[in-house]
Amino acid sequence: MSLRILIVEDEMTIALLLEDMVADLGHEPAGLAMRLPQALEMAEREQLDLAILDVNLDGRLSFPVAEILARRGVPFLFATGYGSGGIEAPYRDRVVIRKPFSLEDLGRAIDRVAA
Amino acid sequence: MSADSGPGEPPPKPDFPHGGGELGALIRTFDWSATGLGPIAAWPQSLKTVTSLILLSPVPMVLLWGEDGVMIYNDAYSVFAGGRHPRLLGSKVREGWPEVAEFNDNVMRVGLAGGTLAYKDQELVLHRHGRPEQVWMNLDYSPVPDESGRPAGVIAIVVETSETIRAERRRAEAQERVRQSEERFRALVNATSDVVYRMSPDWLEMRALDGRGFLSDTPSPSVRWMDEYLFPEDQGAIWSVISEAIASKSVFHLEHRVRRADGGAGWTSSRAIPLLGPDGEITEWFGAASDITPRRRAEQHLRLVVNELNHRVKNNLAMTQAVAAQTFRNAENVTEAQASLSSRISALALANDLLTGERGTAVSMRGVLDQATRSHYPSPDRRLIEGPDFSLSPKTALSLSLAMHELSTNALKYGAWSAADGAVEICWSIYRPARGGPERLKLVWTERGGPRVDPPRRRGFGSRLIERGLAAEMGGEVQMRFEPEGLVCVIDAPLTVYAEEGAA
Repeated sequence: MSLRILIVEDEMTIALLLEDMVADLGHEPAGLAMRLPQALEMAEREQLDLAILDVNLDGRLSFPVAEILARRGVPFLFATGYGSGGIEAPYRDRVVIRKPFSLEDLGRAIDRVAA
Repeated sequence: MSADSGPGEPPPKPDFPHGGGELGALIRTFDWSATGLGPIAAWPQSLKTVTSLILLSPVPMVLLWGEDGVMIYNDAYSVFAGGRHPRLLGSKVREGWPEVAEFNDNVMRVGLAGGTLAYKDQELVLHRHGRPEQVWMNLDYSPVPDESGRPAGVIAIVVETSETIRAERRRAEAQERVRQSEERFRALVNATSDVVYRMSPDWLEMRALDGRGFLSDTPSPSVRWMDEYLFPEDQGAIWSVISEAIASKSVFHLEHRVRRADGGAGWTSSRAIPLLGPDGEITEWFGAASDITPRRRAEQHLRLVVNELNHRVKNNLAMTQAVAAQTFRNAENVTEAQASLSSRISALALANDLLTGERGTAVSMRGVLDQATRSHYPSPDRRLIEGPDFSLSPKTALSLSLAMHELSTNALKYGAWSAADGAVEICWSIYRPARGGPERLKLVWTERGGPRVDPPRRRGFGSRLIERGLAAEMGGEVQMRFEPEGLVCVIDAPLTVYAEEGAA
């Protein structure tokens, strides 16, 4: 089943890789947000099945985005270079993948979150 | 009396003095006729009376009779005289005590003139046992009159105080040592900048604490010290270490948080030792505590730096992975992919130098454009860079740097820099849009003088990175126009001047 996935990632090259990986996994990138305001807006407005969230967006944490997604009932996972230690308390039980990750890592994480 | 005993008969046993212990016996048998005193039978009554008096006294006494001060003394004095006894009996005082002859000359002169002398703790050097010996004595001298009423001798009461004096000196020395030790201790306490404190055996009461500006002072005993110095959430853990030290009567040592004199939180390394009484029980705890707040801060800062470094390394590897994945995805063959990848990794490394400020410069717009393109152009005159300089966010600088790298490699392979004299113009300006809104940046990359350009059959990673990635990064539009005279790339984005913390 193809999912519409929002990508929130502030690193240009990684964002592009994520777009490719999402497409390779048979899903549809629903948008790319590289900064917090943009991510907040897209999380609120876009029609989404799932979201991949980088934790640190050019020095600002992405948890407000997670809050919107949780309210909307959109499942999401975190992709971070900090590991699960950098995840705020309400989201500690969410799925986290550590950068760098492989296509298979991402595929498994998406399947777990979407299930 | 035996006045009737004739010659040839043994001399009558003298019956004077009566008793008088060892000295009484010695005096009775001594041949006084060889001395200035003459035989006892001829002694004046006054001499006999004083001799009897001396012999009855338990106090060391000596009678110095006549101009020469012939010596008669009692048992107590013989002890004082030591090895000089019994030779001293009947001898002239000057000869009996040659080492203090002058002192005794004075005694005789004053005494026979009717005067008295009194010395308290008089220090003398005597040779009582064949070696010089420092002694102290209380000496009282009084004249003794004879039948005519004139002074005929001097009676001396001699009380040796050497032991008392030595004991007093030892006590004084001990006190001096204690005083010096106390002084050194105070100097040590004053020399260190450490907080010094004293606690009751059970630590329920703080007896005193000198805070040295780091902590507030507790000048008199207080049972509220815990709330004064420790934060409520730390008290339990600290108390358990204290309890353990009390139970084992061993050193208390802990690094813990404290409330500083200014009310803020600080860190201290605190160490206290139990002072034990003669019964082995703790009488008091004496402690010192140093301010380790700066060290703790540095450690905390270092942890943050290490975490951040770890994050950046991970992030860089993720970026490298992303670049590699997309390079191979879009490559026509492996050789080309290898060259592109290695060139892109170099570009990433260069951009990273710029970001970590290794050159000591801010991440400036001009710096980014210059560095990303300088390793590619054939000669400086074939690149024109023009525009107002401003600071960029590190992230934007990195994206822009990678985009410039892609444009440069493309120019070198297919565009203006691949021909003999083509050139690239990189010009930018800041403008206020006619429809209003914040200032925007417009950057135009223009290639001229290269081979005729045809739109590419397929778009590679470079184009995607510029058109999609950079546009998203900068929140604007990026357009690549493949004009026949050369490629034109236009970047139009809101201007976000990056003001670094602390920058002017």
